Amino acid sequence: MKNNTNILSLALLFIFAIIPVMAGLGYALLYSFGVVGALNQGFTWQYWREAFADNSICISFLYSTSIAVVALLLSVTTALLVSLRYYQPLKKGFYSYLINLPLAFPPIVAAFFFFQFLSKGGVVSRVAYQTSIIHAVHQFPDLTNDTYSIGIILTHWFLSFPFFLLLYTGLIKTQRLNLFFQLAESLGASKRQIIFRVAIPILIQKSLPNILLYFIFIFGAYEIPVLLGRSYPESVSVLAVRKLQKFNMLDIPQGYVVTVIYTVFVLFFILIILKQKKLAYAH
Amino acid sequence: MRIKFSLLFHAFMIVICIIPILILFALSFSKNWAFPAILADHFSPIAWQDLFSGGNDIRHSLLLSLLIALIVACTATTIGFFISKTIAYHNFRRQLLFLAYLPFVLSPVILALCLKFYFIKLSLAGTVSGVMIAQLIVAIPYSIIFFSGFWNQRVKAFADIVNTLGGTNMLALTKVLIPLAKPLLLICFFQCFLISWFEYGLTSVIGYGKIQTLPIKVYQFLIEANIFYAALSCCLLIMPPVLLLWINKSIFLKRLY
Repeated sequence: MKNNTNILSLALLFIFAIIPVMAGLGYALLYSFGVVGALNQGFTWQYWREAFADNSICISFLYSTSIAVVALLLSVTTALLVSLRYYQPLKKGFYSYLINLPLAFPPIVAAFFFFQFLSKGGVVSRVAYQTSIIHAVHQFPDLTNDTYSIGIILTHWFLSFPFFLLLYTGLIKTQRLNLFFQLAESLGASKRQIIFRVAIPILIQKSLPNILLYFIFIFGAYEIPVLLGRSYPESVSVLAVRKLQKFNMLDIPQGYVVTVIYTVFVLFFILIILKQKKLAYAH
Repeated sequence: MRIKFSLLFHAFMIVICIIPILILFALSFSKNWAFPAILADHFSPIAWQDLFSGGNDIRHSLLLSLLIALIVACTATTIGFFISKTIAYHNFRRQLLFLAYLPFVLSPVILALCLKFYFIKLSLAGTVSGVMIAQLIVAIPYSIIFFSGFWNQRVKAFADIVNTLGGTNMLALTKVLIPLAKPLLLICFFQCFLISWFEYGLTSVIGYGKIQTLPIKVYQFLIEANIFYAALSCCLLIMPPVLLLWINKSIFLKRLY
């Protein structure tokens, strides 16, 4: 009976998690080598050579990486500062409920909100006009679909900051960090030393798997860059969708090259995350 | 100086937590919103009235999203609970968990593009069942990872006691394991519901645009530049999560800790 349940569970794991990913990756790999696909005529390295000769894939990976790094740096830093300074009001009461609200925003809604908030015709621009900070709509800076991806970074920050704030507030509580702070203080450490030598290193170390996991999510995000980004450079997901879904069928193999490289990149990161996590299974 | 910092903190929290919701609700009640007016020329509940009277197809999308999310959440929580138990006490638990991580962390839109061929071959593309299966490919691994921390020696010992005292595995499951895991089961259900409720990439690729869930509707309204209906869809998208988060925080987390 027990064995049957185990076999059924493993079968479901393979059906719903392992086989789809392997089958999808296998198809992408075969397509990228010209083995399958309507226009392909047999094994070739041509699409991989073309993909590496074309800078757009490399630029997309660098662009997505930089967006994820900047957004995470911003959210982790602000969450650390706010959780350490305002731990008491965040621990319980009104703010402990309030900070959950941004977590209810799906990426597409957050992107829509930031477009209505930061675009040239958005709320901030209108307030700037009414308060005579600007005198015409064109004087308002580009904050969405802009060169520096400010809109994308702010939207990712808006979605990830509450998560890290809750994480750090929880860690301070569950790891009893206040006791460490008191100990450091009684040993003569200054407030600055307590924050930079004790609190931040412990919190960063404990949250590293979550930071890495969030990096992968932001790296592969689609809705936010497609609504708030420019046509060049494109994020990895937007580039993959453009090459695989749009009109030029000759682009499809290159689209699959992008998906294979992306999957390998993610695999590498999961290995690091799992190493960091040191799985909490009992032997 | 301390008062200034405190004021800044209050302002900061209100701006990031409350202003977005207020703006979305205000937009959903607006009619004309020409530059440079901060508020719309006039407010009207017409979009919301249309929703309740069925004058637009948002109601259909709302009900479809709700149906898909409920089925996906129930299925993923149940299946994930049992799979995670098998993995937790398996000799290859690290390797199996590594494989379970993959579909959950891959970009849903890229995963969908890789799987689209198989969904077309199986005649599942553009169908509600196809979208649900695609979402389960993401939700079940999440559920497995979520429960991975639950199974430990203490839980195993409780189940073993039931077996030692002559109880069946079913009895151990219904009288010990499920009551122990009840708060986690509910949280996992909420999280899987939200994964499905928020899902855009998988639904748009596998659903072929035919399965119009609320996130698909938001994107469609944005393309049509119909910001008032897009705002209404956004409000409908954030209302259940706000409610679930509140229940999650006020009831289940209190019970858990």
